[in-house]
Amino acid sequence: MRNRNAQNIKLGIFVIAGITIFVLAVYFIGNRQNLFGDSIRIHSVFKNVSGLQTGNNVRFAGVNVGTVRDILILNDTSIVVEMLINEKTRRHIKKDTRATISSDGLVGSMVVNLVPGEEEGSSMINPGDTIESISKIATADMLTTLNTTNENAALLTADLLKITTAINDGEGTLGALIKDEGMATDIKKSIAGLRRTSEAAAVSVNRLNKILSSVNLEESLAGLILNDTSAAGEVSQIIADLGQSAEEMKLMTANLQEFSEEIKTGEGILNHIINDTTVVNHLDATLQNAEEASKKFDENMKALQHNILFRGYFRKLERRKAREGKNENNR
Amino acid sequence: MENSAAHTHGKAVISIRNLCKSFGDQVVLDNFNMEIYDGENLVLMGKSGSGKSVMIKCMVGLMEPDSGEVEILGKNMLELHHQEKDELRAEIGFLFQGSALYDSMTVQENLEFPLRRHKKKFKGGNTNEMVEEALESVGLAHTKSLMPAELSGGMQRRIALARALILKPKIILYDEPTTGLDPITAKEIILLMMDIQKKYKTSSLIITHDVDCARVISNRMILLLEGTNYAQGTFQELSTSKDPKIKAFFK
Amino acid sequence: MNHNYTATANVSSFFMEIGALSRFAGRFFKELFSWPFEFREFLKQCYQMGNKSLLLVGVTGFILGLVFTLQSRPTLLEFGAVSWMPSMISISIVREIGPVIIALICAGRIGSSIGAELGSMRVTEQIDAMEVSGTNPFKFLVVTRILAATLMLPVLILIGDLIALFGSALVEYVKGNVSFLLYFNEVFEAIKFSDLMPATIKSFFFGFAIGVVGCFKGYNSSKGTEGVGKASNSAVVFTSLLLFIIDFIAVFVSDIIYG
Ligand SMILES: Nc1ncnc2c1ncn2[C@@H]1O[C@H](COP(=O)(O)OP(=O)(O)OP(=O)(O)O)[C@@H](O)[C@H]1O
Ligand SMILES: [Mg+2]
Repeated sequence: MRNRNAQNIKLGIFVIAGITIFVLAVYFIGNRQNLFGDSIRIHSVFKNVSGLQTGNNVRFAGVNVGTVRDILILNDTSIVVEMLINEKTRRHIKKDTRATISSDGLVGSMVVNLVPGEEEGSSMINPGDTIESISKIATADMLTTLNTTNENAALLTADLLKITTAINDGEGTLGALIKDEGMATDIKKSIAGLRRTSEAAAVSVNRLNKILSSVNLEESLAGLILNDTSAAGEVSQIIADLGQSAEEMKLMTANLQEFSEEIKTGEGILNHIINDTTVVNHLDATLQNAEEASKKFDENMKALQHNILFRGYFRKLERRKAREGKNENNR
Repeated sequence: MENSAAHTHGKAVISIRNLCKSFGDQVVLDNFNMEIYDGENLVLMGKSGSGKSVMIKCMVGLMEPDSGEVEILGKNMLELHHQEKDELRAEIGFLFQGSALYDSMTVQENLEFPLRRHKKKFKGGNTNEMVEEALESVGLAHTKSLMPAELSGGMQRRIALARALILKPKIILYDEPTTGLDPITAKEIILLMMDIQKKYKTSSLIITHDVDCARVISNRMILLLEGTNYAQGTFQELSTSKDPKIKAFFK
Repeated sequence: MNHNYTATANVSSFFMEIGALSRFAGRFFKELFSWPFEFREFLKQCYQMGNKSLLLVGVTGFILGLVFTLQSRPTLLEFGAVSWMPSMISISIVREIGPVIIALICAGRIGSSIGAELGSMRVTEQIDAMEVSGTNPFKFLVVTRILAATLMLPVLILIGDLIALFGSALVEYVKGNVSFLLYFNEVFEAIKFSDLMPATIKSFFFGFAIGVVGCFKGYNSSKGTEGVGKASNSAVVFTSLLLFIIDFIAVFVSDIIYG
């Protein structure tokens, strides 16, 4: 009898040990998943949850603060994600917090990130609140806007292409201008010559300067230097160079003068450009497009830089524009 | 032979009619008939493998006979429900051929085992006292807390006997109570059986090969041969029979 | 011809065995829910199976955790992922290796002892004696043992898992200077309900399989001492096979549920 009681006691200890292990395991696992701890429930509506599962972590500024409790499909564009948030972290989470879904790097499971809002003095979140979400769709909106900019740019490119083709084919006056080989080479030559001349002149003057200054500084040595054959040779070479340069410069100036004279008197082909209205209009439109496109692009970039998550901006802008356009049409 | 059945003592407590049992092609019992009367010691003899144990097991419902009837204390054993069968079995003590003590239990627990299920029969009776009484009646009171493996074969047989007796049954079935024991121990067991019979006024069926045992204990004998009740009568009648098949048993 | 005959005989005897085993299991449920229940014997069996297997399970589990961690260490070290050790070890022990190894150990210990015990009880007519004494031997011997095995195995597996994790933590403590607290913190960080629950449910089935097969083989053992040995031996073999089949089904099902 006593033996049996002892056995029963041992059995009781054994079974209780087993159950305790189980309960503790459940408790520790559950605690991590916030199944038992004090927690509040909040919601967020997404258009796309990108494979989020119940049990995934919810992070606030990178800290695990809760888990995804439930995912419900409300309709084809809204999916409600219910989250359990640790009561302790609640006071840090304000009403203007927004939720995004992203992947958790290494493991590849998805997490809900709570992004703190920017408004000062926003009140603490309450149980049952629904917070705003930033879906992948918002970025898609941004991409559409960028796309219209792109289209504008494409238009611009097409225009430019048209002009280039026209030029290549020798159409239009501008084409003729470029095609006039004699003129073109003339201009090229003139410019190249001018550059060369001025460069050479600069070098020569520089050298001369050096020599002169050394003479000035060491007067006693001046004779010596001047008598030195190598130095003498050098100096004479410099002077010869200078002379050549001056000669060339004179020629170049004459050339340019002639060219400008021609433009002034209205002769020559360049003049036609100014009078060819089609080309001018074309260029004008192209420039305008380019300007507009770059302006739009600029705006996008500004918005993106300002806050990559700020999707409302473009929408509002576009809507306003559409409204204005409509108003004008109505008038 | 019919005449020898004439000296009947009182009413039959067990009657077996046309019992048939075969295992596959092997026919073991073929229309076996037998009656046990109130208060008698009936000895059943038969060759080894003739089906004595099979018959006794069919009787208490441990085996299902192919056909035939078993009536015990006026009840048809084969048609009873669990509950009634168990109640009827409380009236039957069964000593197995190999003792069949529960070797994971102590002697005490072995004896308590039949009591557990039949507490109703002994309203509020002290189990401990009953165990001690049964053990004393087989002279092994000191073995109470031993395990069966710690006992000799003869002691085990006596404990098994005590276990068969503890419910104070009206009928006791002994399957070879003395086989495998030395003659002295065998004699002790036989004396014990006779004591019990006197004390509790039980009816007994004793299966044995042992002629000495049969002579001492039997009021009446039955010979089981070729699956049937070949012959019955007193020890005197059968041992003097001229039938060579019967004679073979008494050599 | 003769060969063919034995082959078909083997196949049909296999199906006969499965059928008989199913009937046996069915009878268990029938008798389980009918009065009376042998509570004392049930507790005794729980003690026999639970407490008496604890040392074996504990030692096995400890060595399992030790060896498993020692063996995995160099590989993880090579990938610079030793910090993943607690989660890797704990998940594989809790989900799979713990339950299966401990169940196999218990099949060897509990299953064979049930087979041998009931087999020898059958051979020495103890089961018959029980029936004659007015006790339903199926209820007394089979129901209690199957139920005890079913309930004790999950406990043994839970304790074994924990000891295995201690073994693993010890290696990490000695080799990697990871404190036990940190180790178990990581463990509970890694384990999910979807790891623990299917494993626990599975271990009930493991226990049931061990109990049912052991009892079936022992209870229906053939006469003679040879029958006892055969009962205990085939109980272990058949149980081990069944454990893997159950494990496969469990993994399959939990994969569907927890996907
Ligand atoms: N469960 C069984 N399955 C198949 N055959 C059996 C079974 N039990 C007994 N037999 C066969 O029935 C026959 C009778 O067996 P039984 O045990 O009744 O013999 P017995 O008369 O008691 O012999 P013994 O004096 O040796 O005990 C034997 O040939 C045995 O082979
Ligand atoms: Mg026999």
